[in-house]
Amino acid sequence: MRHVQFLARTVLVQNNNVEEACRMLNRVLGKEEILDQFRRTRFYEKPYQVRRRVNFEKCKAIYNEDMNRKIQFVLRKNRVEPFPGCS
Amino acid sequence: MYIKAILNAVRYAKRVNLPVQMPLSSSIHTSVCSRKAEDRKEMLASLPAKDEGTVGEKSVDIDTLINRKSKFFPDAAIATQLFNGMPFNELPVCNIRVSSNNTIISVTDYKGVPRLIRSCGIEGFKNTRKGTNIAAQATAVSISAKAIELGWKTIRVKVRGLGPGRMSAIKGLQMGGLNIVSITDNTPVSWNPPRPRKQRSL
Repeated sequence: MRHVQFLARTVLVQNNNVEEACRMLNRVLGKEEILDQFRRTRFYEKPYQVRRRVNFEKCKAIYNEDMNRKIQFVLRKNRVEPFPGCS
Repeated sequence: MYIKAILNAVRYAKRVNLPVQMPLSSSIHTSVCSRKAEDRKEMLASLPAKDEGTVGEKSVDIDTLINRKSKFFPDAAIATQLFNGMPFNELPVCNIRVSSNNTIISVTDYKGVPRLIRSCGIEGFKNTRKGTNIAAQATAVSISAKAIELGWKTIRVKVRGLGPGRMSAIKGLQMGGLNIVSITDNTPVSWNPPRPRKQRSL
């Protein structure tokens, strides 16, 4: 699917701050897994490698989800301002 | 109890073939408790479903970036917006083609006709030195000087590929005195590509 040039995957530079714009662009590309897919398709990935990678990603996602829940549980706060002095 | 009695009576009457008129249920219902149950059911139905499954199964995580930093992302109105007296879609374009071994920078006008082209190899970096961030930066500085000679000071940047020169080439353009309006990623990525070459043997 083709996208409109200079609208898709585009970040405008604000106040001549190129670095921040680059960071934003890389963040979007990383989050959408475009960079990962680019790196993956440089060389042929054999089916056994695909299976291994997908299984690993599944396990990692499950682990990360549960770990995040645990961290949220430990860090939960019951006061009006959850983190006094940090804002 | 009352309803049960009526139903029993009707059943009995049917068994002995008596003509019976079924009482209108709405008239006899003393349905306070049943309505309460219905209300509860309605309330539960109107509540959002409790998601106890995997994150992302029922809800979608949207990056908060798009709301907080919306001015960073262009919309359709950008095409006619003026930058340094020129509409956005008539600004010259600087294409940066990055690979692991080289960086090629070309400057085209808004129609895509190339005017300038420089690469790290042309710049005098040879062999492995071509594929370094320093070479990319030097190339970008020299091409930006040439672009300013042409009178192109405000440009859009299009980056293609991944490599060590990706960031430093953009930085070099800015150091060379060009005013960068936008940065676009133009890396060709396919989710069903033709079969790539075989893995490198290590």
